Amino acid sequence: MSELSQSRTATAAPRRSSGLFGIDLASPKHANKLGYLLLAPAALLILAILVYPMLLAIDISFHDVKFATLSFGSADYTLVNYQKLFSSPDFWNALRVTAQLLLVVTSISMVVGMGTALLVNQQFRGRSFARMLIALPWAIPEVVAVVTWVWILDASFGVLNWLLIKIGLIGGPVSWFSSPSTAFSAVTMVMVWKGYPFISIMILAGLQSIPEEYYQAAKVDGANVFQRFFWVTIPCIAPVLGVTLILTVLWVFRDFSIIYVLTGGGPVGATETLAIMTYEEAFNFFRMGYASSIGVVTLVICAVISAFLVKKTSHAIY
Amino acid sequence: MRKLARTGAVLGLLLATTSLAQAETLKFLTWQLTEDTYGPWWEAVIDKFEEAHPGDTIEATQIARQDFADTMMTQFAGGSPPDIVHLASFEYQPFAANGWLEDLGPWIEKAGLDLDGWAGQNLCTWDGTTRCINLQYFAYIMGVNTALLDEAGLEIPKGWDEFVAAARALTKDNDGDGITDVYGTGLHLAAGNNYINDMLNFVLDAGGSWTTPDGKPAFDTPEMVAAIDHWAALIREGLVPADTTGGDARQLFVEGKVAMRIENPGLAGVIETSASEEMKPNLKLVASPFDPPVGGASAIIGIPSEIPDERKQKVWDFIAIATSPEMQELFSEIVGAPAPRPGSVTEAVLASTPEYGLVVEAMDKAAAAGVDRVPVGLETHYNELASIVREEIQRMIIENRTAEETAAVLQDCVSALQ
Repeated sequence: MSELSQSRTATAAPRRSSGLFGIDLASPKHANKLGYLLLAPAALLILAILVYPMLLAIDISFHDVKFATLSFGSADYTLVNYQKLFSSPDFWNALRVTAQLLLVVTSISMVVGMGTALLVNQQFRGRSFARMLIALPWAIPEVVAVVTWVWILDASFGVLNWLLIKIGLIGGPVSWFSSPSTAFSAVTMVMVWKGYPFISIMILAGLQSIPEEYYQAAKVDGANVFQRFFWVTIPCIAPVLGVTLILTVLWVFRDFSIIYVLTGGGPVGATETLAIMTYEEAFNFFRMGYASSIGVVTLVICAVISAFLVKKTSHAIY
Repeated sequence: MRKLARTGAVLGLLLATTSLAQAETLKFLTWQLTEDTYGPWWEAVIDKFEEAHPGDTIEATQIARQDFADTMMTQFAGGSPPDIVHLASFEYQPFAANGWLEDLGPWIEKAGLDLDGWAGQNLCTWDGTTRCINLQYFAYIMGVNTALLDEAGLEIPKGWDEFVAAARALTKDNDGDGITDVYGTGLHLAAGNNYINDMLNFVLDAGGSWTTPDGKPAFDTPEMVAAIDHWAALIREGLVPADTTGGDARQLFVEGKVAMRIENPGLAGVIETSASEEMKPNLKLVASPFDPPVGGASAIIGIPSEIPDERKQKVWDFIAIATSPEMQELFSEIVGAPAPRPGSVTEAVLASTPEYGLVVEAMDKAAAAGVDRVPVGLETHYNELASIVREEIQRMIIENRTAEETAAVLQDCVSALQ
């Protein structure tokens, strides 16, 4: 063997490393494979904890079962749960309540969130403290916050009734959770209180990213404060508003603990959303098949709303 | 000699390994482990079992009461139930109906356990087989604030008329600010089946019952209409704090803000642990004004049907210890209420507290009248029944309906359940 060929053999050996399963992942040809390999654990995890339960729930929803076991069903597929669901006044009531709550809580939260974000975006003394105060309801664990509200709103010994009576706004205690309208108002109020800080923080982040030059240019063009808000601020934060709106809508749609702890869905179904109905049917009345059908319908509605909102709100100005 | 020693060592090691392989950990989920009353009793049962089964251990886990049924259902549905099944007596039925609980008949027969006269045991019969053993039967008594009664010049009420008159007299706005400071009584008005448990006081007293003895709904009887009227009167007249849970009402009672509270005997323990030293002398336990008192089985124990037979044997051994005369007497002593085994209340225990006789008397009365919170024929619909009754009573009050109309609607709704 010549000196040259000996040298080639010596230098070529490490380059021909067989890699994983004989594939050289460092080679540009197999670059994609490395990507898939690195993503595989996460993808498997998602399949295990998201897709499998979802498929299971869909499967159970087509079986007329009270208790379900964690295995895919036999041949007894049926539409009975869906037939019962769509002919149930309780389901349509829950859908109506969910839609009402969605509309009221989302719109009020967006307005309050926007207002507080604009406020704490200004330069003033104590701004950091104000920002912290605004974020506070978001930081408190939901169940702790709601239990506190239950006591605040308590009809007999709650501080809110006491305060309203003392300042003369009401003549006697209001039973917040005993009438459909007051119960709905109470749930709305607590949900807005819990939800607006997130919106505020998101919008504040969006506001901070708007270049000051845009406002200066608008001022030079003679735009007043409202014109600057509608023609500079809103378009600039539109993508943030879009994402925030989607997240808020989904949060209101699936929220369970606030309503369950406050009213349990009552009185007379006034605050019974799809989430509450699903829980009641599954874990109180032990009708897993029926509860799964509500869950599947909820999933479909959520997917449709998300797709619609994403389409409508994903346009960036940049 | 050396060879013999080596063989001995190998055999010893083998035996130890075999013994370790047989040693098992039995999973036991309960909501009572951290309770002041039941906790020490369960610990005693666990200790006794572990003493009798060297190497075996009981892995006891505390689950919050409100999450208990969900947790158990999830575990059974997932195919990994706890080895020792502990459930509330009003929620075991769906588990039995689903075939998840072992038929205990052969185990009871083999062990020669005599369940004659065992309080509340009839509730454990499912489709003609015994699916559990009842661990407690109790009856309601009443807590009264004697200082408030004395101040109003009232005797301890007996019957509905005296009870509602006392509730009216005791409900007061002491400082005239438009807010009621003391309520005559407290009821569970929130979600959950305590709603119908509390309401059953009024139903039984009016001579009614949720269902007929053969399990048919009996909501539209005159007695039931009277009971609904009584219940609604307390709410409409503002004699009870609104929207409270049973726990809230109990707490308000020990704080002196509710004058009378009809409850299970656990109220004695709450007074002991939660009432202030100033308040304690005013709080007294008396017989329920309603006859017969509400009674019922409280908690059951059983074996899951899907575990291996060897484990079932060990779980049965655990049950046998819990139901033994020794542990049943200990239960009566520690818990402050009679255990279900006949003769478990000794003279010494009976003399230990002034309330014990009261509790035994209430339990005997309720048992003699065949009272149980879970209505015959609606065992698997108990939670739904509570939900329907609560919603219709709320509708009655909100829409100002009559008791007759409400009773008729309830009859239809409950009949549709079956």
